[in-house]
Amino acid sequence: MPDVHQIKKKILLVEDEESLAIGLEYNLTEEGYKTDWAKDGREALKLIGDNRYDLIILDIMLPYVNGFEIAAKVRETDPQIPVLMLTARTSAGDRVKGLESGADDYITKPFHLRELMLRIKGMLKRKEWYKDVTSVSPVYTFGKNEINFENLKCKNGKEEFTLTPHEAMVLKYLIDSKDRIVSRKELIEKVWDMNPEVETRTVDNFIVRLRKYFEPDPSNPVFIKSIRGAGYMFSENPD
Amino acid sequence: MIFVVAQLVWLSLLGLWIYWYVYNYIVFEKVGDQVSPQVTYDITNVAPFVLGLILLIGLSFTTAVIFRNLNVQIRLTKLYDNFIGNVTHELKSPLSSIQLHLETLKTRKVPTDKQDEFINLMMKDAHRLRNLIDSILGLLAVEQKRFLHDHEVCDAGTTLKQLINDSTEQFRLTSGECNIEIKSTSEIVIDKNSMKIVFDNLVDNAIKYSVNDVKINIKVSSNTKKVTIDFTDNGIGLPHKEQKKIFNKFHRIYNPDIPSVKGTGLGLYWVKEIIRNHGGKISVYSEGTGKGSRFTIELPAYKASENRFANKLLKKSREQKQKITTDA
Repeated sequence: MPDVHQIKKKILLVEDEESLAIGLEYNLTEEGYKTDWAKDGREALKLIGDNRYDLIILDIMLPYVNGFEIAAKVRETDPQIPVLMLTARTSAGDRVKGLESGADDYITKPFHLRELMLRIKGMLKRKEWYKDVTSVSPVYTFGKNEINFENLKCKNGKEEFTLTPHEAMVLKYLIDSKDRIVSRKELIEKVWDMNPEVETRTVDNFIVRLRKYFEPDPSNPVFIKSIRGAGYMFSENPD
Repeated sequence: MIFVVAQLVWLSLLGLWIYWYVYNYIVFEKVGDQVSPQVTYDITNVAPFVLGLILLIGLSFTTAVIFRNLNVQIRLTKLYDNFIGNVTHELKSPLSSIQLHLETLKTRKVPTDKQDEFINLMMKDAHRLRNLIDSILGLLAVEQKRFLHDHEVCDAGTTLKQLINDSTEQFRLTSGECNIEIKSTSEIVIDKNSMKIVFDNLVDNAIKYSVNDVKINIKVSSNTKKVTIDFTDNGIGLPHKEQKKIFNKFHRIYNPDIPSVKGTGLGLYWVKEIIRNHGGKISVYSEGTGKGSRFTIELPAYKASENRFANKLLKKSREQKQKITTDA
């Protein structure tokens, strides 16, 4: 049920199939979201430039500018906005490409209405959680590393770089659970909202990437340690 | 790429070997002459050399053929992958729309006017799915020559006009948008259902690939030998290099002016196959991108005494009809 006390969340729907877009727009409005609809890539980029959205639903095969390019463009300016890819493409390569170009989640056509709505809700909820926990002290330092959880910009003593929202969420979750073992299952539950398309291997890939960023020697981690058979543990002061 | 390199390496090795052989042969001859002038060179030794050479040339020729076929195969696979991608998209998009609307109607209290809108959208999607499935199955039948022959002799002018009118009406074109000019007294042998598919595809393409208002001109003319249909549109036209390729199976042209046009790359191939089954020809001409296209279809005029191909088609149609009535 829509929550009347809350400010309406704004969603941008980028979809060139008219009938699908009409149906989705109706459902999103019924759920209490304010929805803008872009018919092609160019329109989408213009709307993204002119407005602030809480979430973007993105088709891949689009006229003028495709979904991968849009996701990448969005990430250049706004690292935090949740992007949900909605597409007929099902190959593993496309999924990886979608997630790599900056999408947070991926759902294939044909989809179930309820599942889509739950995913959207989950993504918005996670964004809120992330905003809450980072608003107090956005900058966090450990070792030679400095992370700004608001704009996702990081320094590791050697170079400066930007994290993807999911990398930031994983790291944030580990830091919040400092000195406690976090299992892969827990990470999937909390960070990916139990998305069935995320496997434990994906979690491992994220950890490998984080170690590459922040560990002085990634093959010999001191901050993000593997606990055999249990999961991962973050500790700030390596012994 | 690796094949090109392998081919080059192998050819240069061959060249090197021939050079070595000939060089040695000359040296042997010279040395032989000096050492023992009485030993004459045995001519039979040339035979294995020539045979070996022929064998090698044969080998390199077959390698070249295999290499060429492989290239064609790779290109086809790429086209086919593209086609699968397009078909997947074309099948899944309307299907997900229908599913979404059905779930919406089931789970929400949708007001009546919205209900009607959703139902109309679903019908449009179902129609789109039907068209796609029809074209894939229809084309399969044409390719395997397993379709029902229904050829008959008819007056080219009236029949073609009727078929074209049916098509343009189906696409809701006004008489201002589609002009038909008939100047023909010949008779032709055609299968009306197939020929309707030809016009449906041409009209559909003309509409899909037009940026401005659609304008189609169709001219039917004839002489004693053939009936010619000129189908001209004011669409986005074709670059010269694409004009031969557009009748190829799975071939699609990406035009940045109209990027949202979706298709499978089957339509014009289907058209070509149908025209070929009628003993006719189809070609396209366009002055270039943005300048419209002209499709020219030539069908053999029917003169009972001479046209063996048409008579064969008619005979086949009669036989099939007879079989159907006796079976029934």
